Amino acid sequence: MNITLPRLLAPLATVVGLAALTACGGVSDMTRQQVARSETAVKQAQAAIGNSEAGAVELQQAKDLYAQAEQELKNKNETRAQRLAVQAELQAQLATAKAQNAAARKAADEVLASIQTLRQEAERSGSNSTLR
Amino acid sequence: MKAMSKTIIGAAVALALSACSTTPKQPISELQTARAIVPQVEASPRAGVAAVNVSDARKSLDAANQLMEKGGKVDDIRYQAQVANLNAQIANEKILEAGAKEEIAKGQAERQQVLLEARNREAEAARQHAASLEQELADLKTRKTDRGLVLTLGDVLFDTGKSTLKPGSYATLDRLANALKEDPGRQVQIEGHTDSTGSAEFNQQLSEERARSVQAALMQRGVSGAQISATGKGEDFPVASNDNAAGRQQNRRVELIFTDEQTRQRVATDQ
Repeated sequence: MNITLPRLLAPLATVVGLAALTACGGVSDMTRQQVARSETAVKQAQAAIGNSEAGAVELQQAKDLYAQAEQELKNKNETRAQRLAVQAELQAQLATAKAQNAAARKAADEVLASIQTLRQEAERSGSNSTLR
Repeated sequence: MKAMSKTIIGAAVALALSACSTTPKQPISELQTARAIVPQVEASPRAGVAAVNVSDARKSLDAANQLMEKGGKVDDIRYQAQVANLNAQIANEKILEAGAKEEIAKGQAERQQVLLEARNREAEAARQHAASLEQELADLKTRKTDRGLVLTLGDVLFDTGKSTLKPGSYATLDRLANALKEDPGRQVQIEGHTDSTGSAEFNQQLSEERARSVQAALMQRGVSGAQISATGKGEDFPVASNDNAAGRQQNRRVELIFTDEQTRQRVATDQ
């Protein structure tokens, strides 16, 4: 298995390959580190999202994936733990990105609305408006 | 998006359950999704803001495609496709966020511009108001003096020995009142003067009453009392000789002295 799999998985990410290499032994440090990274990503997403709605669903999914990864780590299922942890980390990053995008979108809408208000005020007060 | 995320969870569970499944006979939905969305984020003009995610998405999609060709395990293909999809979704959010931030920057600049234009318009309106008062005062034959602009209302506006304004004065007072209302920063000082006919006490009182009549008339027309003061100067400040009728007529007058903030400051400094 250790001889045939790496060739098959050559195009895959190195971590996956290494995970495959050690699939039959104990859990590698690399996998433990990946699980730890996913935990950090989940915490960061939690902080970025706070009470906002955007990203909340993705955060919950990231938490679930992380919990599964932890479980697989305990069961010494190297590959599954590795993959679940990668997915948990990405899912947490997606949650963070969604929250940040929503915040930027909200701020942009507020700026646009304030310009609209200013324009309307200007049109009411000045008859010779040159505004577009 | 929600549905897609559910699929990912479902796939993760399936992955855990069926680790040993082999080459697919049916299309893999995650791979189809990845094939559709990865090129989309790659094509975005803002792809650079999520360069790492875009490139990771491409790597995983290529890996999934290769596994598919070589008849790899469904779980492996699915996993790579899921990683590609997640990276593409993250890239998409970052791209949207960058777009929103550009809108904010542009909007703030635009907001400044709108504010600036509004201020310029207000300044122009104020200048026009001030100019219209100047024009009114010029039309009313004012003189420029050290004390400010002086407008002289002749005695034809009053009956002899009386302080009641005649209707002939109303048009002038209307114009004055409008001009003063447009320029609340202006102050007007009203001074009554008489000729030397009659006693000094009577003339003093008459001059005061006439000044107050003009003040009251302006206030009735809506000018703020804070802009107007009225005093009687009696017969002591003639502008012409009291020896003939024409001179005495010139001396019977009410003067309105207009000052703006600048003039008041200058006069105060001179004193």
